[in-house]
Amino acid sequence: MSMNRDVYVIGVGMHRFGKHDVSRRDMHYAAGLAALEDANISFRDVGTLYSGYIGGNMLDGVSFAKDLGLTGLPVVHVENASATGSSAFREAVMAVAGGSSEVAMAVAFDGRLGNMAAAGGPRRPTMDTSLLPAAFFAFWAVRRMHDNGTTVETFAKIAAKNWNHARFNKFAERQAENEITPEMVLAAPMVAYPHTAMMACGAGAGAAAAIVATREVAERLANSRPLVKVIASQMQSERYQPGHVFLGAIVGPSESTRMTANLAYEEAGVGPEDLDLVHVHDAFPIEELMYYELLGICPDGGGDRLVAEGATTIGGRIPFSTDGGLIGRGHPGGPTGLAQIWDVTQQLRGESGARQVEGARIGLAHMMGAGSVCVVHILKREA
Amino acid sequence: MKVPVEEGYFRIPEDPAAPPVLLGSFSPAAKTYFWPRRKRCPITLEPVEDCELSTDGVIYSWTFVLLPWLGSMEADAGGGFGACQVDLPEGVRIQAPLDGKMGDWSIGQKVRLVTRTVGKDDAGNELCAIAFRLTGEGR
Repeated sequence: MSMNRDVYVIGVGMHRFGKHDVSRRDMHYAAGLAALEDANISFRDVGTLYSGYIGGNMLDGVSFAKDLGLTGLPVVHVENASATGSSAFREAVMAVAGGSSEVAMAVAFDGRLGNMAAAGGPRRPTMDTSLLPAAFFAFWAVRRMHDNGTTVETFAKIAAKNWNHARFNKFAERQAENEITPEMVLAAPMVAYPHTAMMACGAGAGAAAAIVATREVAERLANSRPLVKVIASQMQSERYQPGHVFLGAIVGPSESTRMTANLAYEEAGVGPEDLDLVHVHDAFPIEELMYYELLGICPDGGGDRLVAEGATTIGGRIPFSTDGGLIGRGHPGGPTGLAQIWDVTQQLRGESGARQVEGARIGLAHMMGAGSVCVVHILKREA
Repeated sequence: MKVPVEEGYFRIPEDPAAPPVLLGSFSPAAKTYFWPRRKRCPITLEPVEDCELSTDGVIYSWTFVLLPWLGSMEADAGGGFGACQVDLPEGVRIQAPLDGKMGDWSIGQKVRLVTRTVGKDDAGNELCAIAFRLTGEGR
């Protein structure tokens, strides 16, 4: 992608993720309003709105936007499975980069168990739904254990880390009172061998929003806060790989992450060694482990060592999932990608409190969307 | 009578002892097989030919699923089920349920395609998907 104009994140907002009964409409409003207040702008200043949600009523996006105001702005529904929020954000970035809007907003939301379940979902069994996500990522894990000697304790350490990061995020679904240990993770009920329930992402409700703008607007609104620039926005769908699974695969080849990240690094002019924090699609810890390598944070096969050294914990060399990730913060399909942008932006501004990565300057947000797509954004703090 | 839950993925031979037959595609340009059928070669974008694929393969990976839904603490009512990814000799990898119980499987074991009943249609036919079963042969 070539950005004709520089794009900056000027506002972020969230509604807590979790198994609560707040309506999707109310969560949408809360997250959207929080982002507007964070940016210190009126909804009247927003040029285009991208509204992300999965499987809900086709009217929801434009209908819920009325709660923020009737300004006549274009409203577009974006849906891309788990990458819905990331895709909505990317569309907003494109709108500003391409010159159609000075300010663009992305908001995404989902209810408990996803809107698909509320809408009825498929009833008659089909060939494509005979297996479920829990099985798919367990295939990755069992194969990894076979090929690399990865242990279940490594998976448990990653999950425990993300649960503990979530303890410092008031918007996270899972907020344990006390520190979570790998032993506690391993003692939870099995979901799909070798993954236990505490290794599986939370799947509650939630909403998140982000607002992007031109440099001129960002500078005018900065109010002494550092600017956060979007230095890469890349999306790839699948390319054929040996062993390609076409039917029932939740996401495509793991190589999709390497390809998309390399494009993002090239666009941003930075490499994995320049990153200060990373968010990934950690629906299960095997994903986070593999993404350490596929994002180039360590050599192939080196992920287990990163875990053993504690390098991906806040305070370590390269913290991952600093808000708890999908495992701790939770993963309502629609807004997750925007929750990542919310955390990266706050980290780069130095506003993350107890979960702050000291001196964070560059953060990467990676999402997979079933089907599948991979989306990578890289954000950078400017002094 | 057994019928596929969806047409176009596999056929069920008249011989009840015969395994189901996977309906795939072959790309002459890429010299690559695919399942399920492709409308065109995803690599070269050239036309593909219909073909039938092997019924035997080896386990690439496996799992045993107890709590199917993400974030759920509700156990599968059936007490769990095996699942696997299988590599066929043509270079095709497919995933499906796997007969047996935890502890039965390991990577590299030989498996054969079978049908698994998943429901009934309005005419009373058994709707079938595919699954795999260990052949009992060595690796």
